Amino acid sequence: MMFNEASGPGPERAGHAEALGVLARARPAPLKALAETLLEPMGDITVIANRTGLVMVPMRDTVENVDFHLGEVLVSEAHIVDAAGRLGYGMITGRDLERAMAMAVVDLALAADPEAAAIRRFIDSEHQHQAALDAALMRRVEATRVEMETF
Amino acid sequence: MAYVATRGGEKAIEQAERLFRQDLGTIDIARVAAIRQSMPYLIDRVMGEASLYDEDMAALALAQTGGELSEAVLVLRAWRTTQPRLAVAAPLRQEHLLTQRRISAAFKDIPGGQILGPTLDYSHRVLATDVFEGIPYHPPAVDAAARPAPMRQPSLADWQRQQGLVAPATEPQVARDDIPDLTREPLLFPASRAHRLQSLARAETGGVLALGYAAMRGYGNAHPTVNELRLAEAEVVVRHPCGTEFSAGRVRVCQAEVTSKEKGGFLELGFAASFGWNEVKVIAAATLDLNSAEAPLGSPMHEEFYLYHTESVEASGFCIHFKLPHYVTFQSVLDAMRDAKAKAAAADAHDDDDALAQARQTEPAE
Repeated sequence: MMFNEASGPGPERAGHAEALGVLARARPAPLKALAETLLEPMGDITVIANRTGLVMVPMRDTVENVDFHLGEVLVSEAHIVDAAGRLGYGMITGRDLERAMAMAVVDLALAADPEAAAIRRFIDSEHQHQAALDAALMRRVEATRVEMETF
Repeated sequence: MAYVATRGGEKAIEQAERLFRQDLGTIDIARVAAIRQSMPYLIDRVMGEASLYDEDMAALALAQTGGELSEAVLVLRAWRTTQPRLAVAAPLRQEHLLTQRRISAAFKDIPGGQILGPTLDYSHRVLATDVFEGIPYHPPAVDAAARPAPMRQPSLADWQRQQGLVAPATEPQVARDDIPDLTREPLLFPASRAHRLQSLARAETGGVLALGYAAMRGYGNAHPTVNELRLAEAEVVVRHPCGTEFSAGRVRVCQAEVTSKEKGGFLELGFAASFGWNEVKVIAAATLDLNSAEAPLGSPMHEEFYLYHTESVEASGFCIHFKLPHYVTFQSVLDAMRDAKAKAAAADAHDDDDALAQARQTEPAE
C-alpha cells in the first residue's frame, strides 16, 4: 500500500521532517558508517521492505492551477521495525538500497532516542555541508543576474 | 491473412543482435558514469521522454543502445513497468522550486529579477578543436557573487493575476492519488488538461519542436513570447509511515509559460513542464498548449494531432514496424501492378493491330 493512501498524517515529531530531509541527501559513506555503529545495540530488526520502486511526481500548472503528473522518480526504500515496535524508514532518490537502509537505521535510532548525541551531531554536520553547497551554487547563480533596460 | 515462414531466423536474429552489441563494446559502470557526468542534458532529455527520473538508468540506457534515443527511451519505459509505484509525491509548486535560471522576454522587471543561469544563449558557438592538438579545454570558473541568489523565486503568473493581467485560477480540488494518469488510463479526446500536460511532459523533443515551430511560423493562431522560463531543482516530498512529509532528494525540472495576446481582457498563457532541463521542448510544448483552444480539428496545433504524433514510443514503434515482413500484403500490390501492366500491354497490342489493319486499308493498291 502506498503511504499516501494511509489514514492520514500522524503526530509529527519535532524536527523529524528536517532530519529526514538531511539524511536523504547525506553523503553515502559517512551515513553508512554511522548506521554501522547504531546497528549492534539495536538488537533484532525486522525488515518490512528494502526495495527500489517509483514515486510519481505531480506538478501544479501555473496557468489553470491544474495538478498533472510530470513523471516518476526511481527511489530506494527501506522500512524496518525493532523488537519494541518502533519503526525506521528511509527513502532516497536513486538506486542505492544500502543508503536507504542506513537512513532507516538512523531513523529508527532517532525514534528510540530523539536526542541521541552522535546522530544529532551527524545531522547538524551534514546540514551545514548541504547548506554550504547550496550557498556556493546560488552565489554562482547570482553572478548571472541581469538588469534589462529598453531604449 | 497469410503467413510467411522464415528459415534460419533464430540464429540470424541472435547474430544480428550480437553484431549490434559487439560494435558497442563492453559496457561497465565506468562507461555509464562517464556518460552520466559528461552529458547531463542528453540524460535530461532521455529521462523526460521516458518519464522516469534516474540519471544512472538513463546513462545505462544510452550506453546499451549506442545513443539511439528512441531505443533508449523505449528500454527505460519498459524497465519502468517492472518497478512498483511506492507513492505519489506532493505536487511541485513553482514558488518552491530551487531556481537556477529564470527569465522573461515579456516583462523586464519581474519580481525577483532576471537570472540567466547556465546557458549558451548569448555565446559564440565555437568548437574547441584545440582538444585534438592535445590542448585540453578547461572552462573558466564563474566569478561567484558575494551573496547567494534567493533559492526560490516568486510566481510571475501569480503577480500578473494580482495586476489583473491574467485570468484568475481556482485552487485544485483533486487529491494527489486521483490526478489523471496516462500510464494507467488511455488518452481520450478532448483530453483533460492534466492528461495534455502529462503527455507533453513525456513527448518527444524533436516532434514537439517541429509542431511548435510550425505554430510559431504562422500555421497556428498565436505567436509566442516567453512569459517565464525556469530551470530548477525540485524536492521530491514523500510521506514517512508515521505521517511526516519529507524530501527524499531533488530532481531537475524545467517549465515555460508563453503568452501571445489579449483575450477577454486577459493575457492568454500556455504552459508546459518536463523532467530535466530542456528549454526548447517546454517552450515549443507551451506554444502548442497556447494554440490548442482555437485550433481546428485536424490541424497540427489541435491537441489530438500533436499529442498522438509526439508520443515517441508509439511513433517510433509504428515507423520501425514497416521493416517487418509485409511480403504477403505487398504481393497483392505487385499482382495488381503486373495485371495492370499486362492489360496495358494487351491494350497496346490491340491498338497496334488496329493501327496496322487501318494502315493496310489505306495503303494504295499497286
